[in-house]
Amino acid sequence: MLDSRTGDQLQLYLFRFGYAMLTVFMLLPIAVVIGTSFNESGSLVFPPEGISFAWYVEFFADARWLRSFENSLIVATGTMVISTLIGLTAALGIEFRQNRVAKSIVGLGAVPLFIPPIVLGVSLLFYLSFFGLQQTYVGLIIAHSLWATPIVFFVMQSVFSRFDWSLWDAGLDLGASPRRSFRYVMLPSIKTGIVVSALLAFIVSLQEFVMALFISGRGTRTLPVFAWLEMRTNLSPMVSVASTIFVFITIAAIGIAVSASSLNRLADYL
Amino acid sequence: MSTSRIRDSLRTDLQQRDFDKRSLLFVPIALLVFGGFVFPFLILIRISLAGQPSGAPYEEGSLTLESFVHVVTSDLIQYIIGFSILYAVTTTLLALVVATFYAYAAWRTSGVTKYVLLFSSILPLLTTLAVKTYAWAPLLAPNGNVNDLLLLFSVIGEPVQFAPGLVGAVVGQVYNMVPFGILAIYSVLISIEESKIEAARDLGASRIRSFYEVVLPEIIPGIAVASIIFVTWSVGAYAAPQLLGGGAERSYAVQIESYMLAELQWAFAGALSVLMLLTGAIGVLIALWVLNQSEGGVRIAGQ
Repeated sequence: MLDSRTGDQLQLYLFRFGYAMLTVFMLLPIAVVIGTSFNESGSLVFPPEGISFAWYVEFFADARWLRSFENSLIVATGTMVISTLIGLTAALGIEFRQNRVAKSIVGLGAVPLFIPPIVLGVSLLFYLSFFGLQQTYVGLIIAHSLWATPIVFFVMQSVFSRFDWSLWDAGLDLGASPRRSFRYVMLPSIKTGIVVSALLAFIVSLQEFVMALFISGRGTRTLPVFAWLEMRTNLSPMVSVASTIFVFITIAAIGIAVSASSLNRLADYL
Repeated sequence: MSTSRIRDSLRTDLQQRDFDKRSLLFVPIALLVFGGFVFPFLILIRISLAGQPSGAPYEEGSLTLESFVHVVTSDLIQYIIGFSILYAVTTTLLALVVATFYAYAAWRTSGVTKYVLLFSSILPLLTTLAVKTYAWAPLLAPNGNVNDLLLLFSVIGEPVQFAPGLVGAVVGQVYNMVPFGILAIYSVLISIEESKIEAARDLGASRIRSFYEVVLPEIIPGIAVASIIFVTWSVGAYAAPQLLGGGAERSYAVQIESYMLAELQWAFAGALSVLMLLTGAIGVLIALWVLNQSEGGVRIAGQ
């Protein structure tokens, strides 16, 4: 009896020790990135030796870093708009019409999520070079939309499954056109879902770098691609600065998404 | 008679129009899927079936299996295929163990601990792959923190070069994949009633046994999703083997990149991409088959 109890305690301690170690494992690289961005010296050492903002100052004075930062924001915004529109219309279409053709098109749309990005990058480079569209924003936005659109679709599908469709029918019965019903009946209740999926699309694009490595050019390099090319030549804290800024932008975006959804919930209660 | 016929024809007419209009909602996604994925993919297959002249990316108009033959018979590529398979198996198994354990811990804990665990698994998703991979380099270097720690506790006698090397490449890849697996498994875990475990524990099952017999059979669907993600991504791994591996850690994707961007041999790159996708597809089928077997096994044991 005593033996099984001590064995039980031992298992509990091992369990706690296990997940404590894994938490450290998950957080360690993030700590390195943020820590080294404030490093005083130019080498990548962790923990940092002395705190300074010198690399941040340098980052915002370097035209090449700023350019790639701008490129990332352009591509992410384009991806957000395109994939939210496509994902939203497709999810709406599936609510109305569930025929086999529609289902297989939408199913095919999820396949790129399970294809290694390098294959997507290679085939898009082949394809875009036929139209002279390699190294343009258009190519990058298409590439990132391949990943962002199915994510938007899944989010919107779950939003629509919670939507009260009798409201929609009521709007139509009262003589509103489908467009008016969408604008005044459906949009207010799916707004949050649209904001959340748009932000997810934005984040997906901001992070992606393997496809972008293939189809971006000197003028359109996104921040992760530029960071990747830089870190292969020299490991300087600039890369850490860039990604620390990125982490905080993403956390801010998620903060907006969370507060948007809780505001909506608050409005529901009132 | 005639009015009802008119009405019927009017109704079908309206339905017809209605159908056409609603089907327009699929036009954008069809354009993206065919224009951005299916068509480029067909071009990839077409180029993999072209000859590989020296001095041009591929031979236009040729239809041959030459590039596949070259790729399959090359010693380097045979090494790469072998390495990629071993690498994918190792990282997938490690990532499955870590993700399952972590998701289970996040599910079983409560309060602040639960939040910390969930937040720590989401934070890596917000950092770009390129950067979180490179963050392991100073940690795993011969003079890095992991070595310092191991030397301090006398686990090792002298510094070991984890990165660049196999250990670095494996750790980096596992780290990049695990958060997605945690989400997949956690989302299945939350549908299980925790009282089931309490019941098993009250009946005298140990912690480990209650996990194996009560929880594991229930989360097989989540593990299946995680396995599909892990297998396809580890077969296609690029950043971790490239940045944290040494010369021996050469994956499919590293070689494809070199064909595409350095050597300008597009036909070889196409053929190797097709081989990589086949490897991934076979890997997914094997993973699902194994899971099916084990699920059956668990069920029989439970009866």
